[in-house]
Amino acid sequence: MSDSTTDAETPTPYVESPIIMTTVRIITPFVFTFGLFVMFHGADSSGGGFQGGVIVGTVVLMLGMAFGIETTRSWVGPKLPVGLVGSGVLAFILIGIGPVLLGGTFLEYHTYGIYHATKYGIELVELGIGLIVSGIVTGLFFVISSGMGDNGGETA
Amino acid sequence: MNEILEIALLVFVVASALVTALLRDVLGSIIAFSAYSLGISIVWVFLRAPDVGLTEAAVGAGVITVLFLLTIAKTVRPTGDRTLERVNPGALVITIALVAVLSMTVFALPPVGASDSAVVTDDVTEYYLQNAYTETEVHNAVTAVLAAYRGFDTLGEAVVVYSAGVGILLVLHKEVFE
Repeated sequence: MSDSTTDAETPTPYVESPIIMTTVRIITPFVFTFGLFVMFHGADSSGGGFQGGVIVGTVVLMLGMAFGIETTRSWVGPKLPVGLVGSGVLAFILIGIGPVLLGGTFLEYHTYGIYHATKYGIELVELGIGLIVSGIVTGLFFVISSGMGDNGGETA
Repeated sequence: MNEILEIALLVFVVASALVTALLRDVLGSIIAFSAYSLGISIVWVFLRAPDVGLTEAAVGAGVITVLFLLTIAKTVRPTGDRTLERVNPGALVITIALVAVLSMTVFALPPVGASDSAVVTDDVTEYYLQNAYTETEVHNAVTAVLAAYRGFDTLGEAVVVYSAGVGILLVLHKEVFE
């Protein structure tokens, strides 16, 4: 939106380095998989939604560093981070309130009556936290790289 | 062997913290801060808190460094050829006094891994360790506490992260992260 005007004055710190691009292209799938592993496996080993969400968010940061932040921003789209954060909070609240509607207390998973309800409930909650954190991490990255909006305040 | 490693690690952490505070060049300071975070995350692993270590490595050494670098890309470097920041003597005295007072509490802490520390003998800890698996069916007691026993707290934390994002968007006059 305001990028075309600010770019002319302050160029983004982007160097088209083939080494960084190749490295990122190779390690990105592994980092993403590791992030998902940490997120889903947090119930049984160290890790969890927060750590996994940050690692998944790091993938977008690496892509931004390698292929240019503007390119990555237009590839991800402006609404995805907001959607991730919102749906994460919503998922957590809905999972928590579900048992209340069924006559239990907040987050009392076993009132769902599903086999292993507590285990799956905890993993869903972790997934929700992961969505929130990865959305915020990528969102902060994009917001800080683009700076202030031009519809108010002074420009940096 | 383990002790030598721990001492070397602590020296490294304190040294990189001092370098972070004293370097005049902000880029160098950020790199030193990243090294500090990495050192601290290994300290957490030594203290048997891999969850916290993982968070520190991912957030402190990874994401925060990138966000700081993005921020200084939009600012100017300080002029002049001094490498280190000038230290205000009054502030230095107060800081050392504060650190000394706070360090007194270190001697009240039980040794790492002590069997009679409050963390180990406390009833709540005992309850979680005894019942976490049978009641929540997850092996990691930390996750059981976070997402089941104290899930309402965790919802609050998640909403805090959400609110931080909303707050930044409001401050920057934006509707989406772009």
